[in-house]
Amino acid sequence: MTDKIPVTVLTGYLGAGKTTLLNRILTEDHGKRYAVIVNEFGEIGIDNDLVVGADEDVFEMNNGCVCCTVRGDLIRVVAGLMKRQRPGKPAFDAIIVETTGLADPGPVAQTFFVDEDVKAKTQLDSVTALVDAKHVMARLDDSKEAREQVAFADRIILNKTDLVTEAELVEVERRLRKLNPLAPITRAERANVPLDQVLGLGGFDLGRILDINPEFANPAHGEAGHVHDEHCDHDHHDHDHDHNHADHGHDHGHSHGARGHAHEDDIKGISLSLDRPMDGAKFTAWLDRLLGEQGQNILRAKGIINVAGEDRRLVFQAVHMILEGDLQREWGDKERRWSRAVFIGRDLDEAALKAGFEACAA
Amino acid sequence: MKTSNFDAQITAIVFDAEGAVFALGDGSVRFEDGAFSAAHDGAILCAVVHPSGNGVVTGGDDGRLIWHRRADAGVLATSARGQWIDAVDASAESGLIAFSAGKTLSVIDAKDAGFRRDFQHERTVSGVAFEPKGRRIATSTYGGAALWFARIAEQKPTFLKWAGSHTAVTFSPDGAFVVTAMQDAQLHGWRLKDQKNMRMGGYPSKVRAMSFLSNGQLLATAGASGAVLWPFVGANGPMGREATEIGYDEGSLVALVASQPRHGLLAAGLTDGRVWLADPAGQGLNFLKADKGSPITALAMSADAKRVAWADEDGNAGVSTL
Repeated sequence: MTDKIPVTVLTGYLGAGKTTLLNRILTEDHGKRYAVIVNEFGEIGIDNDLVVGADEDVFEMNNGCVCCTVRGDLIRVVAGLMKRQRPGKPAFDAIIVETTGLADPGPVAQTFFVDEDVKAKTQLDSVTALVDAKHVMARLDDSKEAREQVAFADRIILNKTDLVTEAELVEVERRLRKLNPLAPITRAERANVPLDQVLGLGGFDLGRILDINPEFANPAHGEAGHVHDEHCDHDHHDHDHDHNHADHGHDHGHSHGARGHAHEDDIKGISLSLDRPMDGAKFTAWLDRLLGEQGQNILRAKGIINVAGEDRRLVFQAVHMILEGDLQREWGDKERRWSRAVFIGRDLDEAALKAGFEACAA
Repeated sequence: MKTSNFDAQITAIVFDAEGAVFALGDGSVRFEDGAFSAAHDGAILCAVVHPSGNGVVTGGDDGRLIWHRRADAGVLATSARGQWIDAVDASAESGLIAFSAGKTLSVIDAKDAGFRRDFQHERTVSGVAFEPKGRRIATSTYGGAALWFARIAEQKPTFLKWAGSHTAVTFSPDGAFVVTAMQDAQLHGWRLKDQKNMRMGGYPSKVRAMSFLSNGQLLATAGASGAVLWPFVGANGPMGREATEIGYDEGSLVALVASQPRHGLLAAGLTDGRVWLADPAGQGLNFLKADKGSPITALAMSADAKRVAWADEDGNAGVSTL
């Protein structure tokens, strides 16, 4: 048997720089063999025999469960690519799935958890969202898909940073971080991001969920609602924070359509933490129920839980209703034993989530 | 048993009039007698015996449909925009070859190079099967199966509806039933005269192979711990009747089955690398390959049911004469 082939999903709308990045992945001198699955009717024009067209064939499986909405084209293309496998060797070092700006990343990711053939041969590595610093704000305002792609990502590449000012970048990053507090943001020009920041991230690998920083969910400095705590990575004396922000940012929940810059997006990341140990059974039951009831709206979730009476860390990750959890390494002697989790989703009730999470205390 | 080892994956095996033919993931075709044809630029995705009985017709991820004979090979057709050719079937009775690429079913005539029909579907076609006389073609796709007349240029297909993604299709040897395999580990069947639905479920795994035997009285399928046999006796087929399972083994799944409609023998290839032969009317299993190994990825039985060929994921292949 050979190792499973890692799959990286690359999302992003027209003009974000996907073609440039894919060309680099295919042509850079890395000695690796990559297959790229692109939208057949999309804009990616790369002439390479390892580029395969697929047609975003989304379907629901018969059990009617939303988490079983998968991409039939990926099942077909992955099965076909595996036929190039030689005995004892994987067919490719990695597979990259490109999606258009209109694609829902959920079914793409779910395909790799739900289809038994795909699951047997490949492993979803990560979802990377490529966004264009100059146009992303407008896209996030008018496109649900753009917000979902950002919220779904394990990493966000903020491309074309040379076309905007630093102040604009800070504003963009602030909004991206609110949509997705889990994904590190990498700035790039002409998609010049190191490939190791796109491939091999292990975004769905429980063993690699080493840390979750709730402060990512904390609005940036100078931002409404920013909380200074021990995670604040700055000296309190040399900044002049604007705490006079009564005029914006707290205007929640009055609209569910497109959002202006000063308003909340319908999708956001909610960060939870608890210093007391948790009751493992209670937490698992709560998480199961939460994903069962609100899994359609929860795009991604990750957490590290301190379970009472357990020396190992309980680590979980979820994509909509698909949950994976496991006990991972032991807590270190000097490590702060605390539970933290981030839920990224649409129209989530932060207070209810917080109350539910904290009610799992042992 | 004659065995060999290939340095590429064997994606399909067929028996033509002379012997076993192996289609490989490196785009080549290897004949049992050592003849070799390397015509595809990419992997072979599907293969079927040529309507003449001589050689094999293969569809590749290079968008080409190629007829390989022992001394010769030639391109019969290509797909639009080089789309992968995912499925192929051929009919000795009508001399036609049908293949699918993306949403298109194409039909060509082995004896008339000028004949070609292209039929469009709303969703991707996953499987292609001729009815026994070779005049109609069933395709599997999302939401059901489509029935086309092979030669008519302008037509609307009869669409047999059933919600879900259908991944393969076959016709019963009497032409009365169409059966598809589905993404959700079940089969679905239709009786054509009244389009009555038949749900055939209970599988622990996706069904990757189905094959009729015993004059069409049984449909054997993979996808369970044993080979599953559905009775197709009388006008009602399996409706209201139970399937039986032979060769049950808790530790493995039947990955593939192979049989011939006019004969009573069934071959099964398992996920643990073993291959057995059985006569459902008799007792016991005859292991053609008793050693465990990597999963069986291709399996075929000759038209006279006297030979069986198999291949596993590690490139090992064997041909047994029964």
